Amino acid sequence: MIKVSNISHFYGVEQVLYDLSFEIKSGEFLFLSGESGSGKSTLLSILSTLLKPSKGELLIDGESVDKISNIDYFRQSKIGFVFQFHYLINYLSVYENIALAALEDKKQNINKVLGELGIAELSSRYPNEISGGQRQRVAVARALINEPKIIFADEPTGSLDSKNSTIVYGLLQNAAKKGTTVVVASHDMQIENYATQIIRLKDGQIL
Amino acid sequence: MISLKALTKNRFKSLLIFSSITIAVMAIFLISSVSHGIIGMYSKMIKTDGDIIITQKGISDTFFSNVDILLMDKIEKIEHVSSSYAMIVGASPIGHIPIAGIYGTTANHFSHYKLSSGGYPKKNEVILGTNIAKQFSTSDINIGNREFKISGTYSSEIGFEEGGVVMNIEDAGKLFNRSASFILVSCDSPSEIDEIVKKISALDSEIEVKTTQNFVKEYNQFKIIENSSFVISFLAFAMGLMGIASVMSMIVNSRKEEFGIMRALGKSRLFIIKNLFFETLVMSVSAYLFALVLSLGILALLPHIEMLQGYVNGTLSLQISLYVLFSTILMALFGSLIPAWIASKTDPILLINQGCA
Ligand SMILES: Nc1ncnc2c1ncn2[C@@H]1O[C@H](COP(=O)(O)OP(=O)(O)OP(=O)(O)O)[C@@H](O)[C@H]1O
Ligand SMILES: [Mg+2]
Repeated sequence: MIKVSNISHFYGVEQVLYDLSFEIKSGEFLFLSGESGSGKSTLLSILSTLLKPSKGELLIDGESVDKISNIDYFRQSKIGFVFQFHYLINYLSVYENIALAALEDKKQNINKVLGELGIAELSSRYPNEISGGQRQRVAVARALINEPKIIFADEPTGSLDSKNSTIVYGLLQNAAKKGTTVVVASHDMQIENYATQIIRLKDGQIL
Repeated sequence: MISLKALTKNRFKSLLIFSSITIAVMAIFLISSVSHGIIGMYSKMIKTDGDIIITQKGISDTFFSNVDILLMDKIEKIEHVSSSYAMIVGASPIGHIPIAGIYGTTANHFSHYKLSSGGYPKKNEVILGTNIAKQFSTSDINIGNREFKISGTYSSEIGFEEGGVVMNIEDAGKLFNRSASFILVSCDSPSEIDEIVKKISALDSEIEVKTTQNFVKEYNQFKIIENSSFVISFLAFAMGLMGIASVMSMIVNSRKEEFGIMRALGKSRLFIIKNLFFETLVMSVSAYLFALVLSLGILALLPHIEMLQGYVNGTLSLQISLYVLFSTILMALFGSLIPAWIASKTDPILLINQGCA
């Protein structure tokens, strides 16, 4: 599903990733672990096409990311994101936030997905009118709406208590069981219980 | 429409942009229209009352001009001349008022000043403009160390005339030590005007004869007002537009995070630019209209503000309004779309993180 070959990354002159190569298979639940500053977020951003690596090649679904002609459609249809801070758009309601991300033919599923995540009754509220845990579930709903092949999550439970964390991990695990590849970067060792593959980073290298 | 949502939900920001555009546009309107208004009033005063104006040769300002009033007799004998009148325009302390306009005119021009009470002035009498009349309750008035009897009050379409007094040209001649500042001539046939100008010029080598059209165009005082007002309104305009552009780019920068999220969700650069375009358009056009209405309101009030004595007047031309409209939109778009375009080229995750900062 994802093939990483010799990826390095620099911020200015500071190198933060060193010649990484690995593969993630379809339907895996990958846990990207490591200390703060080890390069997890940087690697996750590269894997998810949100950051161009300084060196190396990334293949997703057999396609070289550099050569994808319509990267916007690619992101929208194949990739879902969950960030540490929900990153919902504040002037759009819960429903509209998901609709913004949804492909035309997936819009009819919005209420169903909200229902599955237990937040159907929040659909007309705005992000500042719901709790942090609820916001994160909306972010998960937004990531799931297009039934993407891969979901990337960076510290998805960073701002949640353990009860809400468990809910979010459960949702991601369900997606993985249905064949979606899930990549989660986190400090939270609790994820080891859900993961099918673990990559440990230290100072930009795989341990 | 997502761009309208963004505007209505972020009310404080919208209000901020809206009011800065409004203020910028109003500054442009008021400064340029007031200066045009002043010129317009002077020109109107001269143009409506005659076709030809006679002043002293080589004198740049009518205040200093002196022409012989006896010329009027010869002028009125010229073919196609229908009427003529002479005027002295001066300024002097009047009673306790440090300076006010004094209009000395031949009796045939009195009807220009509409009487609201009393009768037209005879020798050693004056009528007072509506504004200045409010300052005097006496029956006599001291002008340039002479006593005049107040015979009535008048109103005028030309605002600043209401702040002055009108008297017979002979009385004004004694005050200002001259015969007449200028003579205005009306003709009964527009096609004959150039011919009449030639004939009048031949009467006296000390005079300058021009059509009022040309006089207004060439009058130095107008040129000075026009040029300085052009510079001032140009600067106001430039500052206003730069203000608009910088507010817009600040707003765009504060929304980098949002654009990064949209890019991460697979929204195209075009989608972002397009929405911002509509947002900016709605914002700048509505602020423009608001500023236009406010400015027209203020301009309508100006002549009624007593402190200004009717000297400040403003007219807003369609040409200026359109010009300001287009430049406002252009600058707003320039200020928002360029930073947005640059932002949309950045890697989405960097945008999101920049937005946090
Ligand atoms: N935009 C940036 N510009 C410059 N340096 C950066 C930038 N983002 C990250 N870094 C640096 O790159 C290194 C890796 O950062 P990264 O965010 O990938 O770590 P992380 O493993 O996700 O850490 P954390 O667990 O704290 O989120 C750090 O040393 C960080 O200071
Ligand atoms: Mg991180």
